[in-house]
Amino acid sequence: MTKVLPFCTLLLGIICMGLFACTEARLPCDTPKIASLNILTVHYPTDTATTVVDTALPAAVFSSVTDHGVVQILFPQQANFTISLSPLSDTCRYYFTTDSAHQRVDTLDFYYQRSLDFISNACGFTYFYSLDSVHTSHLNIDTVRILNSSVTNNANITQLQIYIHTFY
Amino acid sequence: MPTLRSFKYIFILFISMLLTGPFTSMAQEQADSVATDTTLSRHDSVAVIKRDSTKHQLTIGVDIFHPIMNAFTADRSGYELCADYYMRHDVYFKAEAGWGASNVNYSDLKYATTNSFARIGLDRAIVPRENLKDWDMMFIGIRLAFAPIHRSPASFTVLDSVWGNSTGSLSGKDFLGYWFELVGGMRVEIAHGLFAGWAIRGKFLLDGADFRQLAPLYVAGYGSGDKNVVFDFNFYFSYAIRWKPRHYPIIPKPK
Repeated sequence: MTKVLPFCTLLLGIICMGLFACTEARLPCDTPKIASLNILTVHYPTDTATTVVDTALPAAVFSSVTDHGVVQILFPQQANFTISLSPLSDTCRYYFTTDSAHQRVDTLDFYYQRSLDFISNACGFTYFYSLDSVHTSHLNIDTVRILNSSVTNNANITQLQIYIHTFY
Repeated sequence: MPTLRSFKYIFILFISMLLTGPFTSMAQEQADSVATDTTLSRHDSVAVIKRDSTKHQLTIGVDIFHPIMNAFTADRSGYELCADYYMRHDVYFKAEAGWGASNVNYSDLKYATTNSFARIGLDRAIVPRENLKDWDMMFIGIRLAFAPIHRSPASFTVLDSVWGNSTGSLSGKDFLGYWFELVGGMRVEIAHGLFAGWAIRGKFLLDGADFRQLAPLYVAGYGSGDKNVVFDFNFYFSYAIRWKPRHYPIIPKPK
């Protein structure tokens, strides 16, 4: 080979060295680190209806009962809610009301199995869950249905459907 | 992200390119031999079949890119050596090896890894040599690689602002990583027997099962264990040892 071309490509390689040399100490975590339990609230529009419609609750409150007290999450008017399960045990409890102004508070008890999951070196470890059952009182809630028992960091899967009484 | 099927097709494409090159050269050589034979027989002379008068060349090199990178990164290190032997028809047998380590000391994740690695494969020059003294080359190649990896016990914390943080640990582990590589690059003889050159590599993890529990931050020879496809770069200085060409006996043509 004539020497001009090789030396030009050699130079190109030295330039490439600079490009490949760009590394960061720890990459930012670009995936959710907490597994999300996604809930859709629905109701039957009439007593005789056979299909449900989404229920946009006016000011729903989910309150997690933790070891260090009750942590309230207040949601604006909506029908889709995201909460998290406790990574510290295989069961956890939430208090739930459809409107922060109401006194009717339901209890939601979640029973599940935890599995440790490595996301990446940027994000570290998290817990995913497999829902076994959900027990509830029935002040606002008619019934609860598990649509998908797998609780991961995929925010697009709805795991739980809560049927609300029509008089909520 | 490329699928396994696309990897397969890329692999087949490279294998085809590597294999068809030598056969094309052999076919050309056979054609030349026939032409020579015809000429000689016309003059009823002694035929000499000179198959490959290229010198033997063994090249041993060291990568300087990763040691330079080591100076700028506190959490990982890697060193690479390479050797190649000129076979025939612009094809080189290549062997590479190295070692390295990584140390993860984040607030929520702590562990360390060490590993060595070996790669073997073929390079094929894609620009024909001008003469028998021309050893500069632009090349493409493939490699198969494996790395025995040791991971120390790991400790981690799962951060949760609602329920509270939880901590845990994993025991240490020894496992193997496998991958294949597509390589392209060049090298030029800057002084007698002394080469400088670079290579860009696309690396494709073949079996990531052991990486799922806790992917090593860095595997020397491969790169980030978090990824199934990695691109890497090497800059080599290497020295060539050459010795006499093969001698084939002069074969008298039967009368």
